[in-house]
Amino acid sequence: MTRPAAVIAGLGSCLPLRRITNADLVQEGLNTSDEWIRTRTGIRARYRVAPGVGTADLAVAAGRAALHSAGRTTAACVLVATTTPDRPCPATAPEVAARLGLSGTPAFDLAAVCSGFLYAAQVASALLTSGTFDSALVVGAETYSAIVDPQDRDTAVIFGDGAGAVLLERGTTADPGAFIRFDLGSDGTHSDLIEIPSGGSRRPRRHGDTSEADHFFRMRGREVYGQAVLRMTASARTVLSRAQWPAATVEAFIGHQANQRILDAVAQRLLLPPERCHGNLRHVGNTAAASIPLAMADAAACHLVGPGARTLLTAFGGGLTWGSAALTWPAATAFHLPPEPRPPQGEQHE
Amino acid sequence: MSDIRDHLVALLGDTFEVDPATIRPDATLSELGLDSLGVAELLVVLQERWGVPLDEGLGGDDLTVESLTAVVTELRADT
Repeated sequence: MTRPAAVIAGLGSCLPLRRITNADLVQEGLNTSDEWIRTRTGIRARYRVAPGVGTADLAVAAGRAALHSAGRTTAACVLVATTTPDRPCPATAPEVAARLGLSGTPAFDLAAVCSGFLYAAQVASALLTSGTFDSALVVGAETYSAIVDPQDRDTAVIFGDGAGAVLLERGTTADPGAFIRFDLGSDGTHSDLIEIPSGGSRRPRRHGDTSEADHFFRMRGREVYGQAVLRMTASARTVLSRAQWPAATVEAFIGHQANQRILDAVAQRLLLPPERCHGNLRHVGNTAAASIPLAMADAAACHLVGPGARTLLTAFGGGLTWGSAALTWPAATAFHLPPEPRPPQGEQHE
Repeated sequence: MSDIRDHLVALLGDTFEVDPATIRPDATLSELGLDSLGVAELLVVLQERWGVPLDEGLGGDDLTVESLTAVVTELRADT
């Protein structure tokens, strides 16, 4: 039986121009090697913005690409999922909306770290199916190079900058690209596994009692591995059960592009064969909230999945937060754009 | 206890492709070829099979087969 649903009408992506290989990281003085990074993460390269380029510059480009992909020029609301807003205040989404010519439309940020895109997708989906809006531009955009400690081997090798976006329109569950079911969850008892310890209200920078290191992003890798595997596997099973899809009927799986060993462990537990697992982790690293739409845009651009194919998305991130979605693969052709410099009042452009 | 050790040895052999001949009681997980994420994966399997809580801080690469057996036995006795 068909019912109203949010449908992906357009897919867009943006990567900065500077590609940083594993060898480049070693060259920069990080105590690691290409072999160490590849065996522990599966990553060969990631992208990094030029100085002065921020998350909004990536989000505007990915958003514009998604609108172009859908053949549209407007959206009724704009959501930006990000861990790395341009500034602590205000939110990044209103500027993104304005630069897309959508000044006046409701626009807000959503913070759920690496699960942010799926959180934003469910919020937007509810806004569409409730009749509040008839379309929503949902962007996942990150500039982790701004928060990662370049000397921290556990994070510097993993994270990259980028953005992905989808234009959602109100349709039905019979349309290719329709979100069928979601599952979201959180566990704040482990909020210290993935964090930037200082710079928020609990330990403001102005007090002078915070060290420089406390303003960098930190992750307790081994504990995060365990939580990520268990939470993503359980959430994926929950959403498949809600959609009444046996795992064997899933034709495409895209997990949050965190680490290849985490992705393999989740796919193995869900009994999903490698040929149905898609992603671009190897080429772009972990781009947090941007990773799922960026990987979807990449798979769509390469025509790896047919429109209407049963698709499973799952993510896990700081918070802790996690989420999954069951959807059908969209018919849209993905577009890619480079970062879009700020209008003249910006000081530096990429 | 020996039952848990036997399961651990079988797990290391089957899932982590550790040569059974190298699995001595005093062998550390790192000596058996598990890197930090390998240890993390082992702990996830222990959680799934025996309900061993992930957040017990079981230690790291210096865990031996014997000490891991003891920790798992003790944790299971508490639950």
